[in-house]
Amino acid sequence: MVLVIGGLAAGKREYVKNTFGYSDADMADAVLDGRPVLYNLQDLTAKTDKSEEELLPLLLQKDVVICNETGNGIVPVDKAERIARELTGRLCIQLAAHAEKVVRVVCGIPQVLKES
Amino acid sequence: MRTLVYGGAASGKSEYAEALACAGAAPLYYIATMMPFNDEDEQRIERHRLMRAEKGFHTLERYTNLKDLKIHEPGCILLECLGNLAANELFSEQGAGKNAKNAILDGVFALEEQCHDLVVVTNNVFGDGGNYEDGTLEYILTLAEVNNVLAQRFERVIEVVCGIPIVMKEPAK
Repeated sequence: MVLVIGGLAAGKREYVKNTFGYSDADMADAVLDGRPVLYNLQDLTAKTDKSEEELLPLLLQKDVVICNETGNGIVPVDKAERIARELTGRLCIQLAAHAEKVVRVVCGIPQVLKES
Repeated sequence: MRTLVYGGAASGKSEYAEALACAGAAPLYYIATMMPFNDEDEQRIERHRLMRAEKGFHTLERYTNLKDLKIHEPGCILLECLGNLAANELFSEQGAGKNAKNAILDGVFALEEQCHDLVVVTNNVFGDGGNYEDGTLEYILTLAEVNNVLAQRFERVIEVVCGIPIVMKEPAK
């Protein structure tokens, strides 16, 4: 599994398409289905009723998981947003620990944080 | 060695900082700065408490005015975290208010004198842009100034992203 993180509109999906050869049809927008790439993990955590433990194995089946970095701001006033942000961060830590590769995309430029 | 550990919310910075502190000189002190306001805070504090359990940390709860904190035996101090400390100094009754930045820095400088190793955890709250009300902006700017001074001053600066440490600065070998 490859984890790709970065800010909003940083070029994460373009990087995944260009590097791994996936097309838009391979990419699921915050839904868990049979497609090999999931993006907008932060939106999935905002609407899911599944726990971290339930989501992790499902996400680890993906070839690529793409997630916006959501923890780098002021703590949200809204409790549901805080919980989703926490879940997003915790999942990303777990995914990064299991991933063979972790990439942070900045201005479209990939920065490899981990490669095994 | 003085180390600044920087990261966003739920980035894994606490776990990383604790591991770093455990490798430092004994005895280990943990300075906790989080004032609990509700159940959510209590749960977060409890989660951190569990993580530290059996690692041998002496926990000192201190919400403001670190300058007057006396450490009995020099060892390794883990201060967590500047994000809470800045909020406490700026906004709590016992805080330094307008003088928050200096109160935080003087506190860290006083700790430096009382330990062999210092690990300071701080927060990246700078990445969601947008317009803030005055109090929030003052908070962001205060934390930014403190971060910048300490990053300049300390020997080592590590950013933690998804639990992965990224070395921003380290002592020359």
